This record gives sequence, structure tokens and C-alpha cells, in this order.
Amino acid sequence: MNELIPLMVIVPMMAALLLSAFSKFNRVIKVLAFVVAIILPIIPIASNYGLHFFGGYQPMVDNVTNIVYHPAITYSFTFMQQIFIAMIGILTFLVIFIYLTKYKKVSGSYLFLLFMGTASVTALILTDDIFHMFVFFEILALAQVGIVAASSIDYSTEMALKYMILGSIGSPMMLLGIGFLLAMTGTVNVTDIVAIIRGGLLDVTSPVFLTSLALIFFGWLYASGLPPFHTIKSGIYSKAEPHGAALLQSFTVISMISIVILMFRIYSYLPIFEFLIVLFSVIAMILGVSMALTQTDFRRMIGFLAVGELGFIGLGIGLGTQFAITAGLFQALNEIVITALLFIGFGAIVHATNEVDTRKLGGLLAYHPKVGIMLLIGGLAMAGVPPLSGFQSKLMLVQASLNCGYPELSILTIMVSIATFVVFVKTFYSMFLSPKPHDLEVVDNDVPRAMVFAMAILLIVIIALGIFPDIVTNGISNYVGGMLL
Amino acid sequence: MMAETQLAILFTSIALVVIGLYAAIFVDNIIKKIIGISFIEEGANLFIVGIGYKAGGIVPILMPNMDPTWFASNASYPLPYGLVLTSIVIGASTLAVMLALVMVLYKKYGTLSTKVMLADTSKQEEYNE
Repeated sequence: MNELIPLMVIVPMMAALLLSAFSKFNRVIKVLAFVVAIILPIIPIASNYGLHFFGGYQPMVDNVTNIVYHPAITYSFTFMQQIFIAMIGILTFLVIFIYLTKYKKVSGSYLFLLFMGTASVTALILTDDIFHMFVFFEILALAQVGIVAASSIDYSTEMALKYMILGSIGSPMMLLGIGFLLAMTGTVNVTDIVAIIRGGLLDVTSPVFLTSLALIFFGWLYASGLPPFHTIKSGIYSKAEPHGAALLQSFTVISMISIVILMFRIYSYLPIFEFLIVLFSVIAMILGVSMALTQTDFRRMIGFLAVGELGFIGLGIGLGTQFAITAGLFQALNEIVITALLFIGFGAIVHATNEVDTRKLGGLLAYHPKVGIMLLIGGLAMAGVPPLSGFQSKLMLVQASLNCGYPELSILTIMVSIATFVVFVKTFYSMFLSPKPHDLEVVDNDVPRAMVFAMAILLIVIIALGIFPDIVTNGISNYVGGMLL
Repeated sequence: MMAETQLAILFTSIALVVIGLYAAIFVDNIIKKIIGISFIEEGANLFIVGIGYKAGGIVPILMPNMDPTWFASNASYPLPYGLVLTSIVIGASTLAVMLALVMVLYKKYGTLSTKVMLADTSKQEEYNE
């Protein structure tokens, strides 16, 4: 049933186009969006693992070099892709569900952006073609900008334009890097490029190859919001609607891991590559958590914490062993779920109070105990408290850095986790436990049920992955083992 | 001949990227910034077109009466052209979205200066805090 593999991209994309076309018919687009959102997580679960060659063009053997090459765009679908696409599908469903229940009149264009973003990240993680990756990277950037600009929060358009200008510098750099690779190898298929490098047909120490690394790396930094782009990334999270931000951060995580995996396959022959990833990840961890400490807007705080968590993922991948990369990818999966929970939970607080400043909030546990407790568990999971999922992945990262002979990195990992804990507990205390300020009005005593439902589902995933991490890590570890061969 | 043309393409694309980067980073007017960004995109596109160049080569379309071996040795490399075509389309849509955002902001601020338009955000946030 490999025909299902391209459907993972085609279904959300077609849905997006239809939603945009029929945006005048409110009920029709509501039903269509809901049905497609339910289908999204089912397709990857129902599909078999395998490869899909677009146009049916099978790989061919070059008569001169005896290297197998791929004339068509290739999608590869394994357990790793399955788990991430299913998770993104579940998250899209929850976000669409929240959006549809929140407004009586929904916007077809906004739903278009949500589905287009989902289609783009799905293509990013499936593709084996570096130019195809670039195309969806651009579409994703446009969808992200749209989601931010469509929000009703003040200064969201300004933030969207800033993000777009930076992106428009970052993406041509990536395109140039791809051009350099194409000039050296004559192909854009990553498997073919790796075969050429392994066959000794390409000098990996040549300046052109290094320049292509630098250019693609720059694009990756922008896509994943690592320094120097951490401020703008947390900025767009804080300017998007909370459910939009929950989806935006998952887009960031998926684009980060899918691009870095492709880069890892091409550039892991260069020792500097892994050093660069670890360097930027460590800077992201430190900057993310220290900037989160100083924030008073809790959306911005979660944004910076999310950037700090990205550093953990990069650290795992940068260490480069099978165990470390598995830990990094597991951390990525956990971050998608945990950060989404936090954004939706804090969105519920914005809904109830119309206030985002932690200093002006207080005593909310009495009004919203369910949201408060679920947020607390989510925050503890992010800080790495057992037995939640964040603990398992961070423990693996600590072990991985010890195994690789970098005890200083494991100490740093633990310290950043403790700092995350401090940031979260401080915010939680001032919002939920401290005495309620006299001038604070709790506008709405009811939090939308869809938000509570979404948080509950995400919480179940967090606890399940915390208690049984093996259901995910074994499959990811097999994938990573195959990648490193 | 081949080296000369390709070198010319290479230097032109480098010039486009450098001029574009200068404009995108240092020029205050947002429209000029966006023109600079287009320069960077076109520089990258031109570079990729240059990769597929072949001196004296023919258009890479296999006609019915052509010998495939002769075609393979004389046609220019078609992959870069396909890529650039896609890239141009993406660049155009990015440009359209950027200009649309600028229109919204121009109506709000009545100026095209990025110092006023974008720096105002942080000032306002500080004020709120």
C-alpha cells in the first residue's frame, strides 16, 4: 500500500485548496476541515513502510560509474517518519478542532494555511531530495508567516514581515548551497549524493563542498530558530493565536530534524559539521532558558523555552552516535507534544483573563484547576521530571553525552533542565498560586472544552511516552542505525 | 568559451547576491529592502542556470528524429532549469506576500521606513511592560 505515502502530502494540500476555494460556505468548510483533520493521523498509521518514486521512475544504474541513481523525487517512509507524521496529524486535528469550536464563522484562508503547513512538514520529513526539501521549506515559511499575520494580536503583521525578511535572506542562501552541491554532484537526490561521496568521486575537503555546508547550515539555523534567529522565532510564537503557536512550534521542530537529517547524511564525513551543530545547540540551550527567565509575557517565555528545548535535539544529533541521535529524535517528539500542551494551556488562560503578563495574574488555580494541573504536569515534563516523557529523553541525552566522552555537556544538560524547572515553577507560582491581584478580572469562568480535551489527549501521550519510551525509541533507533550504515 | 561564459555568470550572480545583501541589511526603505531580497534570489537562480550551461549545447528536448547518443553528448543539463523554474515561482509568491504585508503596514504607519515600522514593535512592548 505504498500509494498511501504521497497521499500524506496530497490530502492536506488538496484539502487546503478546497477550503480556500469554498471559503464562502461556512458549514461546508467546517465539515471538510474536520473530516480531513480526522483522516490525517490515520493515513500514516495505515500505510506500509517503503519508498515511493514519483512518476513511477525506478532507480537506474549508471553504466559508467556503476552507481545506482534516482531519476524521480523519492519519498522514504519508515517508522521514524510514521511516528512524526502521525503525531503532527494528531496535533493538526486538535488545533483544527479548537479553531472550529472557537468561532462560529471560520476563515477558509486560515484553515488553508494550517493544512498547507501540515502538508509541507510532512513532505519535508518524507523527502529524499534536497531541492524538494527547499521547495517545501519555502512553502512552510509562507504558511507560518500567514498564520502569524492572521492573528488578531497587536503587532503580528510587523512580526510576520520581520520573519519573512529574515527568511528571504536565509532561503536563497540555502538554495545557493544546494546549487553548489548540484554543481559538484549533478544530482539533488541525497542518496545519490551520499553514494557519490562514498565512491570517492567527490573531494569532501574542497572549499566548494565546505561553502555548500555553510550556506545550507545558515538556512537550517533560520528554519529551526537556533541563534541568531532565536528572538524572531519566539517572537512569532508570541504573536500567533495560541493554537496556531502550538502548531507553529511543531512545524519548527519537524523542519529542524528533517533538514538536519539530510545534512547529516551528506556532511557527517566532515568533523566540523558535528562540532557546529553541538556549538549552536549549546548556545540555543543557554540563551533560550536564560532569556525565558527574564520574560514577563508568558507566551514569550514558552517561546524561549521552546527554543532552548531545540538545543537539546541538536545536541543529540550533533553527538552523532546511534544512541545520541535516537535521544535527539525522541526529544524532538516529546518537545512537539509538551510545547503544544503548554501553548494551548496558556491560550486557555488568555481566553479566561485577556492578560498575558505574569505579574498581573494570580490565584487562577481556584478558577481553572483542570488547566492549572495539566499545565503543571506539562511544565514538569519539559523540565525533565520523572516519570514523564521529557525525563526519558533528557536522561538518554545525558547518558549519550557521557558515552561520547563529554561529561561537561551532560552537566550542562542537567543545569539547563534545572533552569527550565525554575522558570516554569516561577511562572506557575505567580499565575496560579500567588494571591489574586485586586484589579484582575476573570472574564470567562469557562475554558473552551475543546482546549481541555486537546490538553488531556496531549497529556496522555506525555505520560504514555514517559512510562513506555521503548515503543518509540526502538523503532527510531533502528532507523538511525540504518542511516549510519 | 565555456569557462568565460560560466565565469561571467558566476561573477554576475555573486554581484547580485552581495548587492542584494547590502540592500536587505543596510537600506532603511522597506521596498528597497525587498528589491534587495529579490536580487539575492535572482543571484541564486542565475548561479544554478549557470551550472547547466554547455558551450554550443542544444536545448534539452529529445526530438523524434534525434540520435539519443548524440543528444546525450550535446544537450545542456536540464535539471538546473527545472529547479530554477520552481525557484522563480516560489520567489514570486514570497515577493507577493511580502509586498502585501508592506501594504498593510504602510496603511497603518504612513511610512516605508523600517526604523519606524518594525522598531516600533519593541518600543511598544517595552512601554506595555
